[in-house]
Amino acid sequence: MSSDFPTEPLLFFNSAEARTVDALAAQIIPSEADSPGAHEAGVVFYIDRALAGFMRDLRPLYRRGLQTLSDLSNKSFGAEFSALSDEQQRQLVETLDARAKADPDDFAGQFFRIIGEHTVQGFFGDPAYGGNRDVVGWKLVGFPGAQWGYTAEQMQPGVDARRIPISTVADLYARIRKVSS
Amino acid sequence: MKEKFDVIIVGLGASGGIIAEQLTAAGVRVLGLEKGADYTQDDFAVKQDELRYYQRGAIVSGGTVDPVTWRADNKSVARLFPWSAGVLGSDEPLYGMPAIGVGGGTLHWAGAAYRFREADFRMRSAIAERFGESSLPEGSTVADWPISYADLEPYYEKAEWEQGYSGSAGNIKGQFAPGTNPFDPPRNRDFPMPPVQQCPGDVPWVAATERLGMHPFRQPLAMNSVEYKGRPACVNCGFCHGYPCHVAARSSTHVTSVPAAKLTGNLDLRPHSRVIQVNRTPDGKRVIGVTYVDSADETHEVEAPIVILSAYALENARLMLVSGITGRGQVGANFMTHNFGWFASILPEATNPFLGTFNASSAIDDFTSEMVPDNDLGVLWGSPVISVTGDLQPIEAFHLMNPGVQKYGLEFKHWMRDNYTHMHRMYSQTTNFPYPRHYVDLDPSIKDRLGVPAIRITHEWEDHDANSVELFGGIKRRIAQEMGAKETWMDSSRPPYHLSTHDVGVHRMGYDPETSVTDPFGAVHDIDGLYAVGGGSFVSYGGYNPTETIQALAYLSAEHLLERWGCAVGLGTRTPENERHVL
Repeated sequence: MSSDFPTEPLLFFNSAEARTVDALAAQIIPSEADSPGAHEAGVVFYIDRALAGFMRDLRPLYRRGLQTLSDLSNKSFGAEFSALSDEQQRQLVETLDARAKADPDDFAGQFFRIIGEHTVQGFFGDPAYGGNRDVVGWKLVGFPGAQWGYTAEQMQPGVDARRIPISTVADLYARIRKVSS
Repeated sequence: MKEKFDVIIVGLGASGGIIAEQLTAAGVRVLGLEKGADYTQDDFAVKQDELRYYQRGAIVSGGTVDPVTWRADNKSVARLFPWSAGVLGSDEPLYGMPAIGVGGGTLHWAGAAYRFREADFRMRSAIAERFGESSLPEGSTVADWPISYADLEPYYEKAEWEQGYSGSAGNIKGQFAPGTNPFDPPRNRDFPMPPVQQCPGDVPWVAATERLGMHPFRQPLAMNSVEYKGRPACVNCGFCHGYPCHVAARSSTHVTSVPAAKLTGNLDLRPHSRVIQVNRTPDGKRVIGVTYVDSADETHEVEAPIVILSAYALENARLMLVSGITGRGQVGANFMTHNFGWFASILPEATNPFLGTFNASSAIDDFTSEMVPDNDLGVLWGSPVISVTGDLQPIEAFHLMNPGVQKYGLEFKHWMRDNYTHMHRMYSQTTNFPYPRHYVDLDPSIKDRLGVPAIRITHEWEDHDANSVELFGGIKRRIAQEMGAKETWMDSSRPPYHLSTHDVGVHRMGYDPETSVTDPFGAVHDIDGLYAVGGGSFVSYGGYNPTETIQALAYLSAEHLLERWGCAVGLGTRTPENERHVL
């Protein structure tokens, strides 16, 4: 237990819930060699902080959803989702996706869609929200992030977006402080 | 003793801001009641944040503040907004109501600044002429407007020059310049600014439409392309539609008209002041003022001989209905909205869709309005086809992504990696005919925090709507193929939204109180002193964005009000001195 205890404070989840969310997010946006995924982006910390604040109305839904996932995982493989092998996790995710597609009112399927949405938010949102660490989401797709603006040269056809230095909301704050001092 | 004013304006948005400016400049003492904030530029200093503005809708009112319900027909129980998002509650905010706050929807509009065409003002007659009287949609209340394009032309020009629109006019007094829109209705004058910087993804679209014999033109935008009236040019930041502007380059009454009105000293502007009732004399024939609730939840009654409702169309209807003003059953009738028929492509070349504004691109009018192609689908009215190549952030891209692609795992990750920078979109805005079965009224059970009933929409897409999306989907597909698109996909022709910040027609203008709510100036029939202005006045709804026409109508209403008050108004009501302050 102690070795996989969270590396930084949680505001809503307990450590077991955080491990489950981290593992599920990693199935939605997997990590590859040289290509970080939801785990490296810190998506679980984005979701945890959102549930402690803006998304607090979704807390009961998350509690119930994580319990449903735990039941499903234990029933299918006799262990918690975060303790399953990658292959077993993938099988469960396929089941959840199939259930979401077959019946929009199926709760487990719905919960999977919601975590999918929040994983994408945590992966592609500004790092100020706790996810998208080291702007790995933006690096992946070639989004230069929070830019003050773009020049006419940058708006020409044929420009390689990945050559534009990525900027965050925090960088824009620093820019304004610099300009005004 | 109750406070008394010359005029009370309810809602300082696209039209209320303009009317406030015009009246206060002529010395009229105006009380402006705005239910949202009066933001400063400091509020928007850093707004390049997709989660805050686009996904969480920081400046739109959202369902918790102004609840809206929807049902498909009058036998169903209406569901609370956001009905298209399910339990997520994270629907795209602009499939909702526009922002509240000074500036209203102009705080975050994409700025598509289209005039309606001549035929749009005589839709019923034009359809009958083209397809025959018997082809008119059965049971529809579609009608000609009581005013013509020519009547409104000077006010369109005023909106373009006063509010700051950029573009390249196609038809200046019958003269056409190369590369402009050959289907443009005649104008007296060009735009005050050239078009903004074009997005790279628009270049292949222009080339493809030209090869197909179409006539692409740069879209007119309420956006500065050069410094204008002291506001800077757009810096192409790519956080535009749904976002406030950090440099005040976008035309919003928040930075154009309202600051000018404040400088006159004649505007008493009260933000966070929510009007809950229009008050009349006991016989109901004269308006005497309004009741509003301030940010401390205190209720106030204020008086004026003239009350102008310039909130969002649906909110105007809601206010009239909660005040017992039904207009012989016409208030809330003739609801119309747009169906966008979103069509996405993955192009061989990079589009870098994060660049620039939403509409820093081109459109074609070859099939618009009365020029709808002959077709077997029974489509009677056309739409522009519009290229969108900018202002796309990654989370929105995920929402728009190809529905045939898995939304998890390496397939999903690699799709986003390989395709985001190559996305291109097109849309049309096909006409939505008015029917008695499409209307808004008060929800019988859902109320807002103050106990005011929610507005309830009863609307379903008709076959004509779906067929129009299919017809224009075919045109978009041809263009996409010509661009060499590697993947394409299209939105449902019966989309779930029914509400999109483009909702109009619920207090129709006309001369007959049996079939309309206001006269062409916005004066509500049978109630002296009460005006309702905005998109609610529209009689029919073609394929263009509504805001320029809303602003032109606001200038028309203001001029009428000043004539009624024995004043005159014209272009250039700002003095050089106050101009400096505005900026």
